[in-house]
Amino acid sequence: MAMQVGGKKGAMSDPNIVPLIDVLLVLIIIFMAITPTTPKGLHAQVPLPAPPNQKQQQQLNTRTIVVQVAQDGSLKINQDPVTWTQLGPKLEAVFKERAPGDRVAFIKGDKNVQFDFVARAIDIMTSSGVEKVGLLTKKVEEGQ
Amino acid sequence: MAYKPKVGSTMSEPNVIPMADIMLVLLIIMMVITPMLQKGVSVDMAKVNNPVDMHAADKDNAILFSITRDGTIYFRTTKISLSQVTDKVKNEVKNRLNKIVFIKSDARAKYGDVVSVVDDVRAAGVEQIGLLTAKAEKPLTGAPSPGS
Repeated sequence: MAMQVGGKKGAMSDPNIVPLIDVLLVLIIIFMAITPTTPKGLHAQVPLPAPPNQKQQQQLNTRTIVVQVAQDGSLKINQDPVTWTQLGPKLEAVFKERAPGDRVAFIKGDKNVQFDFVARAIDIMTSSGVEKVGLLTKKVEEGQ
Repeated sequence: MAYKPKVGSTMSEPNVIPMADIMLVLLIIMMVITPMLQKGVSVDMAKVNNPVDMHAADKDNAILFSITRDGTIYFRTTKISLSQVTDKVKNEVKNRLNKIVFIKSDARAKYGDVVSVVDDVRAAGVEQIGLLTAKAEKPLTGAPSPGS
């Protein structure tokens, strides 16, 4: 028997669109979930040049904490090498003795290191008691 | 014979075609709007454990720089060179109280590229920097793996 196309009236008068609606609903829900993402991030500061305070900054130098990220991804607090897991506890130990408002640390990264590493280090710093993270740049170090 | 309501023969299923039409239109509207809502250029942001919400970065007049993997700098959505950064920031912050500049950097961009932008932002007298990141789905511990 040959296939009948549109022969009998009434049979298959409209296509079954219920699965289509299911798919559309799921797509709409996905898009609605994506849309309201608020941007998230990490706060950081850059020290601005302040010529009259130059002497004051030098006095603070012995207490300044600088976290360094080397090119191979290893970390240093001032001159002491630390691992990524130790960084948080070590910083916490240092900063819990300091008064709020004095909890400032700086971060310095090798210029060839991936931004990912520095972001992770800043994240660990902010979550272990550092209130202000200062970015050390070339010009900051030169004192310009 | 008693009256028997014919269940199932009439109105067996609701007419869903108008609903499907509405859904389709909604879907198309959302598909059109979604790319528009994104600020700056799309980059693969670094994932961290505890980022804070930055609603200010969502505003239309937010000063947002994007740095892509190869070190290209975008101001909002236009590509600019490093030497233009200071002028752009100076223009934007002229009459603003809340001087904050947002930097949206690719996770695999070189930190040197980010720092050079920060340096030029600093030259415009801005102290506050917001580094935009994404929130990690799983808590990250230990050293980040290179190239991930």
